[in-house]
Order: sequence, then C-alpha cells, then structure tokens
Amino acid sequence: MDTSVLKVSNLTKKIKKNQIIKEVSFDIKEGEILGFLGPNGSGKTTTLRMIVGLTKPTSGEIAICGHSIEKDFVKAMSNVGCIIEGPDLYDYMSGYKNLELLGSMSKNVTKKDIDEAVALVGMQGRIHDKVAIYSMGMKQRVGLAQALIHKPNLLILDEPTNGLDPQGIHEFREIVKKLAKEKGIAVLISSHLISEVQLMCDRVSIINNGTIIRNASIDEVLSTGEVVWTVDNPEKVQVVLKKRFEIASTINGNELTALVDVEKLLKINRTLFDLGFEIKYVENKKRTLEDLFLTLTDKHKIG
Amino acid sequence: MISLVQNEITKILLKKKMILIVLLLLIFISLLAYGQKYSYDQNIQKFEAESGGVEYDWRSLTAQRLDDLEERSANEFIPKEVRASVDREIQQLTYFIENDINPITPTASKFNVQFVEQGILLFIPLLVVILAADLVSSEFSNKTIKILLTRAVPRRKILLSKFIALIMMTTILVFIIGVLSTLISYLFFQQWGFSEPIVTGFNLVNGELNANSTILISRFQYTLLIYSLLWFVSIVVASITLLISVVVDNSSSAIGILMASLIGGQFLQFFLSEWELVKYFFVTNLDLTRYLTGSYQLIEGMSLNFSILILSAWALLSLIISFIVFNRKDVLV
Repeated sequence: MDTSVLKVSNLTKKIKKNQIIKEVSFDIKEGEILGFLGPNGSGKTTTLRMIVGLTKPTSGEIAICGHSIEKDFVKAMSNVGCIIEGPDLYDYMSGYKNLELLGSMSKNVTKKDIDEAVALVGMQGRIHDKVAIYSMGMKQRVGLAQALIHKPNLLILDEPTNGLDPQGIHEFREIVKKLAKEKGIAVLISSHLISEVQLMCDRVSIINNGTIIRNASIDEVLSTGEVVWTVDNPEKVQVVLKKRFEIASTINGNELTALVDVEKLLKINRTLFDLGFEIKYVENKKRTLEDLFLTLTDKHKIG
Repeated sequence: MISLVQNEITKILLKKKMILIVLLLLIFISLLAYGQKYSYDQNIQKFEAESGGVEYDWRSLTAQRLDDLEERSANEFIPKEVRASVDREIQQLTYFIENDINPITPTASKFNVQFVEQGILLFIPLLVVILAADLVSSEFSNKTIKILLTRAVPRRKILLSKFIALIMMTTILVFIIGVLSTLISYLFFQQWGFSEPIVTGFNLVNGELNANSTILISRFQYTLLIYSLLWFVSIVVASITLLISVVVDNSSSAIGILMASLIGGQFLQFFLSEWELVKYFFVTNLDLTRYLTGSYQLIEGMSLNFSILILSAWALLSLIISFIVFNRKDVLV
C-alpha cells in the first residue's frame, strides 16, 4: 500500500511550444511538510495549479490519496484544501458568508467546522465584516480557513505568508506544524522565502526552469557542506573522488572544492590519506539552505 | 446541486445588480407612461378645440388619427418604408373600428405590452446582459474562480448551477418588468383594461394586411402571450451572454462585446436588409412581438416560427460551446 498522500510523477506542461514544466516528480507522505522552493518564474505555481486541477498537464500523473486528479477529480479534490497565488475571496460578502458558501460545496461541512476553522486562524473578531475592508493579512487568514473547513488530508499553500506581519507569520507557522503533527495532514508549501521553508518543512524540493534540481530532507540539505581540500596533487584527488565516491569537484590552484555530506567527510579523508595524498588543510563550510539554493539555481540560470 | 444554485443566486443578489435593474426600469417606465399620458391629453385637447368641445369617445379619436395618417400617406415625399408602415396602420385602424376594438385609450394592459414591443430589441436584452455578463467572467477577474474550481465539484456542475440561477433570475426579471409596467402605468392612466378584446395574428402578404388568420382574445391573454415571448427572448440572450462570459476573462469586455452585437445587429438589419445572411443573426430575430401585431418588416421571408427556430439554435449552440470551453479551460489567473 502506497502511503503517499500526493504523488506527482513525470509531470510536464507545454504552453504553445514552451516547455514550462519538465518531468517533475515528487511525493508527500502523511504528516509531512514539503517546501517547494524556486525563484520567480521557475514553475512553482504552474505545478501547483496542475495538482489542484486548475490547469491540465500535457503529460504525467498526479494522484491524491490514490485518486487521479484527471480521472477522478471529485474524489481527489475532496482531500485537498488549497490557496493558490493569494487568498482571493468574494469581496462583496463577509468572510463568514464566503466560508459558508464554499463549505456548502463539500459534503458534511457543518457550522461547527466553520467556527473551528475561524477560531484556528484567529479571525473570530472580524469574520462578519465584508472582505472588501480586510487587510492582506486578514485575507490570508480567511484564505487558510477556507482551505481547512472540509478537513482535507492535503494542504497546498502557495506563498501563504505574503502580507502577514512577523507575528502573523509565526502564528501561521505554528498552525501548519500543528496540523501536520496532530492531524497528520500532508502539507505542500511553495515559497521563495528560504528561512520560512527552513523553519517549517521536513523536506524540500528545489525547482528551477521547470525542472526539479534537488529533492532532499532538510537535515540532509543542511548537513551537506562545501568542503575545500588543499592538497599536493588536486588532479589525481579529483579522479579518486569521482571514481570512489561519485563526487564532482572543481580545481582552483592547489584547492579542490566539492559538495560533500559531512558524515562522509571522515571516510573520504581516511581514503585519501591511505592512498598517500598529502592533505595540507581541509575546510568544511557548513551551509544554510540559502547557500544551497543560490548555488543550485545559479548553475541553472535562465538562458 | 440545489445548494450550488443557491450559492449562485446569493452571489447575484449580493452584487446588487437587481436593484440597479429595477431602478432603471422604474425610471424608464415612469417616463414612458408619463409621455403617453401627455400625448393622449394633447390629442383630446386638439380634438376638443377642433370640434368645439363636443363629448369625445374613442371612435371619434381613432377617426381623427386615421385622417392624420391618410394625410401623411398622401404626401409624395415620404420614403417608401415609412409609407408602407403608415398604410399598414391605416388598414389596421380601419379594421379595429369595423370590429369595435378600442386601439387608442391608454390602459395599463396596453402599456405593459407596448413597453415590451419597444424594449424587446435593445433595452430588455441589455438588462439581461447586465445581469448575466459577469456571471463567469467576474469569477476570473476577481480570481475567485480558483477557490470555486478547487472544490470537490466537477466543472460542468458549477456551470450548470450558474445557468440555472441565471434562468431563475431572468424569469424574475421578466416578471418584474410586467408588474412594474402594469402598476406604474395604471397610476397614470387609471384604467386596467385587461378584459378589453384585442385582435392578433395579422399577416403581411405583399405589404397588404391580411386579417383572415386573426383571432380575438382578451388583453389579459395577449399580455401573457407577449410576456412568454419576452421570456423566451430573454433566456436566449442570457445563454449567449453566458457563452461570452465564459470565453472572455474580463467582465467589462464581456458587456462591451454584447452591447456591440446588440447595437451592431440593428445596423445590419437596416443597412443590409437584402443580404440573406442577416436573417440568421440572433439580433435580427429578437423582435418576436412584431409577428403578432403585423408590423412592417424590414426583411422578407421571416416568420414567428423561423425566428424561434433561429433563436433556439443560437441558445443551444451557445450553451454547448460554453460547457466545452469551461470544462477545458486552463485557469491562469
């Protein structure tokens, strides 16, 4: 039995002749928070739109709780709550009326469910005011509430903290973490704010130019460091690294730079030592997600 | 499904479009009713001045109107179309006098029909357009289409609920037009006149009025007949508007396109009346009431059945295309 709440495989989208999304694959399990990172125009939102059925993929499969979004739209979508590109609500009615209206479109949404969602996002005070006079932050809160009223198993949030103040961002993060932990909701969060992803997510997928360039857990990402060896014979060391450890490296004078998992570093150094290379100096630059993001996306620059 | 339709009706009502439409109706109906009252009073004054204050009844007033028309028809300088229309009216008035039917005293039951006859080509379709044009396109321009289409409801159901809500609101609109035009004009004329007889079903044969196929019915029945035709026309306009609303992502463009087609359609009728294709355009067929009154027709070879067929085809085709487009559309807002 596949436990994935969301499974995306080989997703491709062409608009006219442009291939915007190329063979994107990832999955999310119960209670997991996946950060979807990428610069502007990298294809984040397009991918999310395809997952919730707003646009149709050119090829590839999307399954939510085992139901294909294209073949079994209703069953698939009954498991999904989402905010895609901003919390757009009917601004000529109250926040509460919005929730009632959207709630009536799913089965078994009671008044109690709506009240609970409103309380969860902390909007009790202003929920009966017209949306037209809400601030961006308040709309984000109601936007999150509308994604939760029908108790979904998968929450898809596209840039959810835009317009929230620091206090709001903190509250929001706590709410999402709590939902994932206590109710086992799987969460997909797209963002270009790396710190946010680092604080909230269990895993990250980094996308650039429509391709996933890294799928990894946060711990894995953070433990991967840039290591600089200063050795007597960098060319030979490069060959050894490539052959034995499948690690690509670059040479700069006597220095050899490579991306290495910190846990492997000890083993590599011992091997190099055993082979008789003279290591003058090893430097391990422990990195943040930001460094990784910048190096990875820099390599894949547009054009 | 019922709750989906309820939602759509809530949205239409909360947008307060109906209030705007009722206001427009109030203003125009009052103006028209006042205008009619005014010109009728003028007629009576004129009659009294000419005949030296004798008691008047509708027969003498009609006879006077007949004299006026005959004078106009005798004028050599009026255009061919105008003379044809004047001659037709002369024949009809003569027929009315012979058959003891009062065509001239304004009553509420005459006014509500006249309002439809005047409005069915442009004014009432425009009200329907105001009601329907942003039904789908506003969901796109306000970006709310994203929260609407990411629920566990298939797209065709969403569009169907919108269409059902639209039919219901259009029906209410037609009802409001009837009630308002009857009540307001009664305030001015102080006469209902629903039991008066009326003849309908005139035929135009080579420009001559043919009364062989006419039937005598009460004004009340006639009002019902005219409003059923208006309802049908309004549903057709609503369906076409729905299509434009689905195709265009922007409410104001949708209203613009429909207004341009309605007004442009009138031009086509007047300037290209000899071009065969014009009679298949929906705007040309909107005025169904003229087939009942035997009005002068610009285009040859059109009948009530023909127009109803063409309008039904337009409505059906619009709906089919709307559903196909809406189902396939990529939401990129």
